Amino acid sequence: MYSKIIAFSCFLFLALQSYGQVDTILLGFGESDISVTASDNEDQAQNTTSAAGYLPNSAASARFLTYSSLAYNFDDIYTVDTMGIEDWIDDQLATPRLFTLDEKIHEYALYAQDSTGEFGYSTRMWRYAWWNYFMKSEDILRQKVAYALSQIVVISSVSGFENRTLAFSSYYDMLLDNAFGNYRDLLGDVTFHSAMGAYLTYVNNSKAVPAENKFPDENYARELMQLFTIGLHELNLDGTPKLDSLGELIPTYGNYEIAEFAKVFTGLTWGDREYFNKSARHDTSYRIPMIMFNEYHEPAEKNLLNGYVIEERTTVDGIADINDALDNVFNHPNTAPFICKLLIQRLVTSNPPPPYVERVSMVFENNGSGVRGDLAAVIKAILLDPYVNNCGVQEDPTFGMLSEPFLRYLQIHKAFNAYTDSGNYRNDMRDVYQRIDQRPLGAPSVFNFFQSTYQPLGPINDADLYAPEFQLADSKSLMGYFNGLDNWIRNNNYADELILFQDENSAGYLDEQTQLDFGAELLLTGDQNIVYLIDRLNLLLARGNLSDESFNKIVTAVKNYPLYNEDSHQDRLELAILLIMASPEYLINR
Amino acid sequence: MTNFSRRKFLRDSTCAAMGSTAFLSSAINLGMFNTLAARPHILNNNNDYKAIVCVLLAGGCDTYNVLVPTDDDPYAEYESTRIGISLDRTDEEQLKILNRPAGLPEFGVHGALGDVKTMFDAGELSFLTNVGTLSEPIANYTEYNDALKKRPLGLYSHSDQQMQWQTSLPDTRTGLGFGGRMADILHDMNTIDKISMNISLDGKNRFQVGSSTAEFSIANNATPDNLGYSGYPSWYQESGFLNDNKNGTIKSLADQTYNNIFQQTLGALTSSTADSIEIYKTALGKLTPLSTTFSETRFSNDLKMVAELISVHQHLGLNRQVFFVKVNGFDNHSNLLDEQNNVLPEVNAGLLEFKNALQEIGKFNDVVTYTISDFARTLTSNGSGSDHAWGGNQMIMGGAINGGQIFGEFPSLALDGLLNVSHRGVLIPTTSIDEFYAEIALWFGVSPNDIDYVLPNLCRFYDSSNCTTSIPSDYMPIGMFQ
Repeated sequence: MYSKIIAFSCFLFLALQSYGQVDTILLGFGESDISVTASDNEDQAQNTTSAAGYLPNSAASARFLTYSSLAYNFDDIYTVDTMGIEDWIDDQLATPRLFTLDEKIHEYALYAQDSTGEFGYSTRMWRYAWWNYFMKSEDILRQKVAYALSQIVVISSVSGFENRTLAFSSYYDMLLDNAFGNYRDLLGDVTFHSAMGAYLTYVNNSKAVPAENKFPDENYARELMQLFTIGLHELNLDGTPKLDSLGELIPTYGNYEIAEFAKVFTGLTWGDREYFNKSARHDTSYRIPMIMFNEYHEPAEKNLLNGYVIEERTTVDGIADINDALDNVFNHPNTAPFICKLLIQRLVTSNPPPPYVERVSMVFENNGSGVRGDLAAVIKAILLDPYVNNCGVQEDPTFGMLSEPFLRYLQIHKAFNAYTDSGNYRNDMRDVYQRIDQRPLGAPSVFNFFQSTYQPLGPINDADLYAPEFQLADSKSLMGYFNGLDNWIRNNNYADELILFQDENSAGYLDEQTQLDFGAELLLTGDQNIVYLIDRLNLLLARGNLSDESFNKIVTAVKNYPLYNEDSHQDRLELAILLIMASPEYLINR
Repeated sequence: MTNFSRRKFLRDSTCAAMGSTAFLSSAINLGMFNTLAARPHILNNNNDYKAIVCVLLAGGCDTYNVLVPTDDDPYAEYESTRIGISLDRTDEEQLKILNRPAGLPEFGVHGALGDVKTMFDAGELSFLTNVGTLSEPIANYTEYNDALKKRPLGLYSHSDQQMQWQTSLPDTRTGLGFGGRMADILHDMNTIDKISMNISLDGKNRFQVGSSTAEFSIANNATPDNLGYSGYPSWYQESGFLNDNKNGTIKSLADQTYNNIFQQTLGALTSSTADSIEIYKTALGKLTPLSTTFSETRFSNDLKMVAELISVHQHLGLNRQVFFVKVNGFDNHSNLLDEQNNVLPEVNAGLLEFKNALQEIGKFNDVVTYTISDFARTLTSNGSGSDHAWGGNQMIMGGAINGGQIFGEFPSLALDGLLNVSHRGVLIPTTSIDEFYAEIALWFGVSPNDIDYVLPNLCRFYDSSNCTTSIPSDYMPIGMFQ
């Protein structure tokens, strides 16, 4: 006798629950106009509203954690269940960083020095540092936001400085530090970051020399506007396009403004150089903000957006110019809806209704205390919005998003409490990258892994809606993912633990091999318990979204796997995980 | 018929357009007969095989360093405009001089393109010069600044321009791809309905999306053994049963009916992928290995896979194939000269090897390979690189083309030239993508009656009277094909 998780999951009712026991009963109750899955145990459930207000049921908590974390486990679900989402967010906003990636890399470099006698960096160190942070640090909301930002203000290891590990660690640290900060501060840190200077080629960008037909590099000027702040055409506060009298889009800038902004981003060079136009000195050059050499900065006036002019200064001041230009784009009316819509798409849903975008944009414009660009307030507004937390939203056929393949991979590790003997982790994320083309800071270009306006053929395109993540879903990468599940779960290749430096002895890091904890699940692989197993995995992985039809198919397929021997129990469990993670109801966040 | 009504006709066909390739497709799309019943009416016989290979040089290739005028006067313009980023015509490492086409000036190609030069000289490859995105013809700088002239949306933006090279629709940010619309028209020339004739070596792209066509994406190392689901190894007890149980359940979950449009889309993709892959496994199992050797670069491996899929086209039931291949590394805002020296050798080797392979399987005359790129780059330098511009030069290769030619009008590279619209050196294209693609489409078998479905804006370039006349007979605005 069991009762399935109720498929809808709005934040209305407190459910009765206990965890990790064979007789787990997970129940929720719907409003009268919502059909509730038949259950033998309805009379046992408590139709209770907490005195403190609405608390989520567990499926709703899992759904919320899909929005607010990279990945989660049962403890996280329980925490959200207990605290409610607003307190949980506040708690997360106050959760400090556990360490910086740069600190971790310093440890690695010292460790390498013990063996090699040389203090040095290797490409892998930053990915190992990222992975350790992911596995260990409890600031899971900050990590989700930083990851979303890494797909907006994009730099990538698909670049000429691929092997400069500190470029990526320090950039990612900067994103983590700014995740709950102000978007204007983020723009400043991004703009002066050497890795961005190298990636978009404005480090050592010099003022014009007209006699030599030499003019400032336009790369950063363009992408700063197109991708990091205002976008290509004018927007209303709700994210919909403004149209001119002919019904046409109104461009936000033209090539003239690009050339004017390009003048602003001149004169910057490596922070550890005494002369302009030198190359990077070392890995460490990438973590020092760029500095200004005013004699290489374009002195002329700059005509920016909306009539704003930086007048020619009596003394050239490139830093002041850059700050003025960043203020100009930050204060542009497009920035709130443009950035807010991108963040909603990264966290919650591919097609946020305009009123939802508008509510969040208003918070971007003013956090309630007159501050513009407060990301903590914006994130809170995104996650607490009534549209998202309304019961009916899951019934809307256009609500939701395809989960990112990389986040599915992360979920395996979190959901099954990946651990190592030493408590230190290694994962180069190479196998997953080869199969599904994603890992942190690994986008093919500044246009990210996918574009926010991607429209796949079929009902999404027909409805003129967007599905950015589908740009990564083709016959090759989809099969790559299914077979990745095979490799990660069935072949137990959970992580890529590889040497950190030439000639490292692999015996030295046997205690950093990732293992998963299937203890609770392995109790549920006998024929009569498989329904409980799928029930548990449905909540943990699929947020309770499996339909009866899918649920029953998976139960049948797992039962079909014969119990040949003791190992067959784990084989059954692995098949169950794999099938759930291959189902459309799991793959679509909604 | 205007564009709109023409397209509407294709979708909602009630009148017959016998002799038009569209008729069969529209009939099939509408389910007027089932596809098998429709097939006997196919116009071309099975021996007629053709393929198109679109090579995207991603990032915006600086093609005014790929094709360089080497006669004294135009070279002097080139050199004085491109100070700091020009190539030296007296140094064969930097520029290789092409055989002078009859009646045309002399040109050189980038020094890394030695095999391209050889193929050009042998009549196997040509260039199309100063081609680019255009909403309508723009004759000069004055017209560019005339508010009545329509410019492409998002000119100079990577995302827009890369997409417009794939859609040939510079007025919109949505829309189907050129290859996809050709497939809408020509799909029924193939014999296995569920196999897409559009095959991508670079995953999703807009080029190959039609109203009823999406790309089939394949890895460049695909073999019958590594295609499709991995699973329980054969030494497992009952591995066949176990794999059927696993894979059958995945398929069954995908085939369910879903209300949510994301679930629908994913389910359909999963299901069609599984179906197609089975056919690909079988077809590649019949491959005779190519003896042509390919370099170990991504581009060469991609083209090797393309050659293999061409050689097994009959086993895929495909008489028409459209391939999409991408080479990265052309957004050279800095270190242009070094970066081109890194990436152009890959392009050079890949094209030569692909030509050799096509000749080995006897298909060089049936396959047209051409390059596209986001845009050309500013003629002037930004220090060591160049920035986003507009019209540029592209290559076209194949036995069916007039080789050894420079098609189009090579522009003046002087900054005071009439086509230049910026102090940076940005050239208005003198040939539109529509004209470029029209010749390819007509060669590929698209009927002149259907050309305005495939290239809805084409009429703007042959008909100045607001698209009221139909396509001229024997329309060949460029003359690329024999």
